[in-house]
Amino acid sequence: MTRAPTAPVRPPLDVRVVTSFWRRELLRYWRDRSQIFGGFSRTVLWLVILGVGLGAALRQIEGYSYAQYILPGVVTLNVLFASMQSAIAIVWDREVGLLREVLVSPAPMFSVALGKVLGGATVAVAQGTIPLLFAPFIGVRLTPLHVLLAWCVMLSMGVLLTSFGVVVASRMRTFEGFGSISNGIIQPLYFLSGSIYPIRGIIGGVGFLAIPDSLRLQLQHFGIYNVGSGWVVQLPIWLRVLLYANPVSYELDLLRNVLLRFRQLPSGADLAVAIVLPLLATAIAARAMRRMYRH
Amino acid sequence: MSVNAPAIACEGLVRTFAEVEAVRGVSLTVAGGELFALLGPNGAGKTTTLHMLTTVREPTRGTASVLGFDVRREAASVRGVIGMVFQEPALDDRLTARENLQMHAVLYAIPRAETAAAVDRALAWASLEQEATRTVRTFSGGMKRRLELARALMHDPQVLFLDEPTVGLDPQARRHLWESVRSLRREGLTVFMTTHYLEEAEGCDRVAIMDRGEVIALGSPAELKPQVDGAPLGSLEDVFLDLTGRELRDEEATPRARLLAFGKRGGEHTR
Repeated sequence: MTRAPTAPVRPPLDVRVVTSFWRRELLRYWRDRSQIFGGFSRTVLWLVILGVGLGAALRQIEGYSYAQYILPGVVTLNVLFASMQSAIAIVWDREVGLLREVLVSPAPMFSVALGKVLGGATVAVAQGTIPLLFAPFIGVRLTPLHVLLAWCVMLSMGVLLTSFGVVVASRMRTFEGFGSISNGIIQPLYFLSGSIYPIRGIIGGVGFLAIPDSLRLQLQHFGIYNVGSGWVVQLPIWLRVLLYANPVSYELDLLRNVLLRFRQLPSGADLAVAIVLPLLATAIAARAMRRMYRH
Repeated sequence: MSVNAPAIACEGLVRTFAEVEAVRGVSLTVAGGELFALLGPNGAGKTTTLHMLTTVREPTRGTASVLGFDVRREAASVRGVIGMVFQEPALDDRLTARENLQMHAVLYAIPRAETAAAVDRALAWASLEQEATRTVRTFSGGMKRRLELARALMHDPQVLFLDEPTVGLDPQARRHLWESVRSLRREGLTVFMTTHYLEEAEGCDRVAIMDRGEVIALGSPAELKPQVDGAPLGSLEDVFLDLTGRELRDEEATPRARLLAFGKRGGEHTR
């Protein structure tokens, strides 16, 4: 038997591989309606039930109703879930799915990883759009331009979070439920992003000041002051530190700026995080996938 | 490189996981056109050996080559000339049969213009034309195997690797698979497979019996039989039990086995 000619070297970027794996993520999403259902049920739970329920007590945050205030947060929550689900699927894919076939093929893993991350991020944008459908009902007016800008931020968030999930998944050897991912990754990133409470802001509204002066003085001891018709509240320092350390906070702040024209962090930092981190994370994810099995 | 390089050659192949030596110095050669089986009990190191030969895992020590290409330095070339069917289906079960084959065409850079014809040929080879647009999730074990075998042949490989190809198949599907393998061999394809079914090894040109990470016997089924004391015409099963011992092999569940068990139970977010 003669030696076959050496295979031509395939460049790391193969557009056909990228688009095929991107398309595969969309097909998988479309055929698993439970994920779409989850996107709707989360939106109803958080935006409608929590938003209206807690909103009745809080009245307003910085002039926005509570449901309005958490709208960007609910979008973020859907993006988080979609990205992590898509990334964690790698654990299955590697043991009993198509990824094993990829591992023995001559296709460049970088392109496979890129398709995976872009596909996961696209699904995240679709899932993140579900809460926007509820915007008119809570009094948030969105123009096509707002939606387009929101999609850009969601895509950035989706790429960052899917890549992060891929790195986690590529190190997981076994998997006994999504609970640990939900409790260990999704919820901390969500709660520590300023999604459901402001870093610093005025809460309250008309009628909120009808409390005894003695109580007002006591509240001042906790750093809560009344301004106009509400109270200025500020998070304790340790919570603020965690919030500043969480990249999702900046993405969310950018999204809030797009949807509500309200932000709490420097816009330069928001943009820097939204542009630089996803690129960096994708490169790390591709490396993690390349190293996943052989060693 | 000699003109008559063997299809597969390995020398002193070792693979360790953490502290455990799964493969402890395997050396063998397989000639072009041969049907070769690695036979051994569960946990003997068959799959790990196969994974090293197919570049899925890197050897800890030793050398291996396929068609003269080194599995470490020329992994991409090895991958281009081999076909592989894994122990568990390596299909996307939310995609259709056709879509799975299309993914294969992309991975192996089969030109766009030829892809549709190649996919149709593979579907016909697997007798799955009627099921082409069904998601693989709805397929039986036998249908998945046929699809995977057809897929592994789509890019005209010269060496075909099969890891326990008949596990979990009913007798009809098993028979069909064997007929396919034999006809491929007649066409000159080199086939390297692992099995723990002795009757399957009987049908191979040569068999290597593996246990505890080492090859403990190698030869044609006819050559191996006389090795058993006092039973010159014994079955290969006698040889096998004689060499590997008769005690039961109980293994601790690996993380992978636990993952698969979880998947069978079917929890949230399985697949």
